[in-house]
Amino acid sequence: MTNSYVSSKGVSRKGGTFARRNLIIAAPLLPLLAYLGFFFFWPMFAVVVDSLKNNDHQWSFINFTTIAQKPYSTAFQNSILLGALSALFASIPGAIFAYIIEVRGSERLKGFVTSLSGVLANTGGVPLAFMFIATFGAQGSAIKILKALGVDLYSGGFTLFSFSGIVFVYLYFQIPLMVIIFSPALHSIRSEWRDAAKNLGATPKKFWTTVGIPLLFPSFAASFLLLFASGFAAYATARAMTVGNIALVPLVIGTLVDGNVQVDQANIGKSLAVGMVLISALAMIPYLIIQHRARRWQQ
Amino acid sequence: MAAMRNRLSFALPLTLAVASLFIFLPFGSSAEFSFRSYSQDGKLMHSLAPYRWIVEQPEFLSHLLLSFKIALFAVIFTAILVVPSVAWLHLKAQLFRPLVELITLLPLVIPVVALSIGVQTAFPDWLQSTEYELPLMYVVLALPFTFRILDNGLQAIPLKTISEAARGLGASWIATIFYVIAPVMRRAVAGAFFLTFALSLGEFTLTSLLHWDTFPTWVTSVSQQNIIGAIALSVFSLTFAFLVVFFASLSSSRSKKRMDATE
Amino acid sequence: MKSGTLELAGISRRFGQTVALDNLNLTIGAGELVALLGPSGCGKTTALRIVAGLERSDAGTVALKGRDVTNLSAHLRNMGMVFQSYSLFPNLSAVENVEFGLKMRKVERASRRKTALELLELVGLDTQSKRFPHQLSGGQQQRVALARALAIQPEVLLLDEPLSALDAQVRTNLREEIRRLQISLGTTTLFVTHDQEEAMAISDRVGVMSNGHLEQIDTPDVLYNNPASTFVANFVGTMNHIPAEQQGDLVSIFGKSIRVKNSNGISGSISVLVRPESIEVSRAAGSGNAKVITRSFLGASSQIICQTPDGAVIQALMPSHESGDLHPGEDVTLNVTLNEVLVSHV
Repeated sequence: MTNSYVSSKGVSRKGGTFARRNLIIAAPLLPLLAYLGFFFFWPMFAVVVDSLKNNDHQWSFINFTTIAQKPYSTAFQNSILLGALSALFASIPGAIFAYIIEVRGSERLKGFVTSLSGVLANTGGVPLAFMFIATFGAQGSAIKILKALGVDLYSGGFTLFSFSGIVFVYLYFQIPLMVIIFSPALHSIRSEWRDAAKNLGATPKKFWTTVGIPLLFPSFAASFLLLFASGFAAYATARAMTVGNIALVPLVIGTLVDGNVQVDQANIGKSLAVGMVLISALAMIPYLIIQHRARRWQQ
Repeated sequence: MAAMRNRLSFALPLTLAVASLFIFLPFGSSAEFSFRSYSQDGKLMHSLAPYRWIVEQPEFLSHLLLSFKIALFAVIFTAILVVPSVAWLHLKAQLFRPLVELITLLPLVIPVVALSIGVQTAFPDWLQSTEYELPLMYVVLALPFTFRILDNGLQAIPLKTISEAARGLGASWIATIFYVIAPVMRRAVAGAFFLTFALSLGEFTLTSLLHWDTFPTWVTSVSQQNIIGAIALSVFSLTFAFLVVFFASLSSSRSKKRMDATE
Repeated sequence: MKSGTLELAGISRRFGQTVALDNLNLTIGAGELVALLGPSGCGKTTALRIVAGLERSDAGTVALKGRDVTNLSAHLRNMGMVFQSYSLFPNLSAVENVEFGLKMRKVERASRRKTALELLELVGLDTQSKRFPHQLSGGQQQRVALARALAIQPEVLLLDEPLSALDAQVRTNLREEIRRLQISLGTTTLFVTHDQEEAMAISDRVGVMSNGHLEQIDTPDVLYNNPASTFVANFVGTMNHIPAEQQGDLVSIFGKSIRVKNSNGISGSISVLVRPESIEVSRAAGSGNAKVITRSFLGASSQIICQTPDGAVIQALMPSHESGDLHPGEDVTLNVTLNEVLVSHV
């Protein structure tokens, strides 16, 4: 009856203008998505495809069965261990440090700590490794000081280029990273909760066990996961610090890429990469989920 | 009840002391190391010689400039691609925001090493033979962070409303972008650019695995011939990075104070 | 547990250079609801937090039922506190929040759960007991916070602007509920707010504070009709300040000579303090003594703003049915319907 005033396209929600309107809204986002498609998804897709091909370019799982055995499995074990240990030894001191700064630091101090943590967390790699060689290497300053004090670390076969040496060096960007990602969670512990708990008869310890730690635990776990992924996947520092004595997945991939490749190992590097992605995803996806959920009450 | 107040007041100084030791011992050691040189007869001296040596290297400037160029282009590409997309997302396409946010987080999940392999496998030869493939990739690497910075920066601003107000007052789209949208995004955009630039300057993994030679990779190669020089470079980079970030945070807190005061 | 008297004596506190509280003395009788009213920064919240033990005073004492609690730690004071917002523990459900204080006092599980549910029923939220704070509305959250504070059977109930973050309608309903509960439980209550309507509506007495001082503390009626200072006069309700000349003990205003209540006998220029409801506006027979600027219909009453020839702007409040046909620009006659007035000596 009144349809003469309604356009032929109508206001139907089943397709028609609704979908078309959404398309118009989404259109300007296509460049970004296309860019990601080309520069991100396609390379990863290509790697997965190639990893499933053997040297004769036929579909095969041979690459994956190969990397499941030594020496590649050792590399995976080492990398996972490295990620886990550096995460473990960084998360707790990092959390405590972040807490003390958050609760007792002035605004200026907090800003300073944030800047410094930002720089250190992103230093990884070359400057960091060299910094450690300068300090704890055979000619390092700390070694000289210790020698002067009568302690010769190197006499006992100590070397910076050991597994524990690398874990220690990794702490230098893992702890700042922890401070950066965990501080927001600490920041969101409202003073009202602490006051209310105090008012209701809770000692500080009781507050933390009944309210504080339960609230912080998901973020802590998420931070741990991020640290693990960070330690697992780090390349630059490991590259600068090892002399080829420790097998780590990123390094193995590096050597395969550097051209010292036997022809029949062409696609091993790609399956290694896929393996890295799977392990990294295993840590990062829960991390992202937890962070997303935690943001709700942290707002 | 004075005891109640003072119970943990030693915690902060103690923590800061430990942290300072943790940070400045290696850094100080590196600094000391970086000034070392050996005289003709093998005696240890300290001087600016290593730093002078670095600056005198012809490759120092060429590599530094190359890294700067790459970083600059990474910023330009981010400006062209990411900034308008986030602005549009907030302006008209809020519906898609959660989905896009999720997509931008994916580069975090993939290790850079794996991505490097991907690039090597997938990209056509013409693309792999130009150094511009680096800034193009850096946009992807930085995306989780740049998106978050821009997105957070726009959360607090009713972009849609103020743009509609401007349009209602007769502003063309260009004028709206210039007078309303851009100023409001300024700080977030600066932050995103800064992050992209810093990330690009220091990026090692992708560069090295794709066999390019930028400043960070050059520093590594220097270490083969002159470890002191390499360390001097590292000290220099770290100090420089820290100073920049420090002064950036100072000025942002100062301008924030000014903004708060005008309310 | 029967509530007792709360006494603050000589409480002073400064933050750096700023004086937050200056020698505050206040006594709240058993079962009384006293409001501390004032603008931001007047010290009312600081005073409340000192009573709660969440802040320390530089000087002075806090006594409960005659017992000095000044140095007693906050978690031992047995006072229930409700904060402005966001004070419910987000990881605990409503009923778990309410029983928190009982859990701290080691009340056994079944018993504390029962008490908590009873209190939730008291505030009308027993059906939401399993919900978490983020699933509750602002008003519901504050009701849970109230139940939580009452669960420990506190000797004193402390409310720190509990309604400020809520919508107007919710605010009105919740303040009535708070008052009803307070009366039925007989809990001594200290209520801090910047909303004078709220304070006046539910309190036994209201203390008006400014810059760390208690300007006046009285029942709402006395406060409204006999403000001790210009600050109180302006803060509580609306007050007109009409310039006039005082002669001896009288002041001449709108052609009438009225006695000055707080006269000091000296003649001179003063401001007459008159509430809007004591000003009568009627259509002028001739040119009148003022012109109508605006008329706002507020339902039962209407607010009429007028201006006198010498520029004074005067607010009047009249029943709508008596002021129905007054409109802007009209000449009117203003009249003060009081026998005696307060003045302020400028």
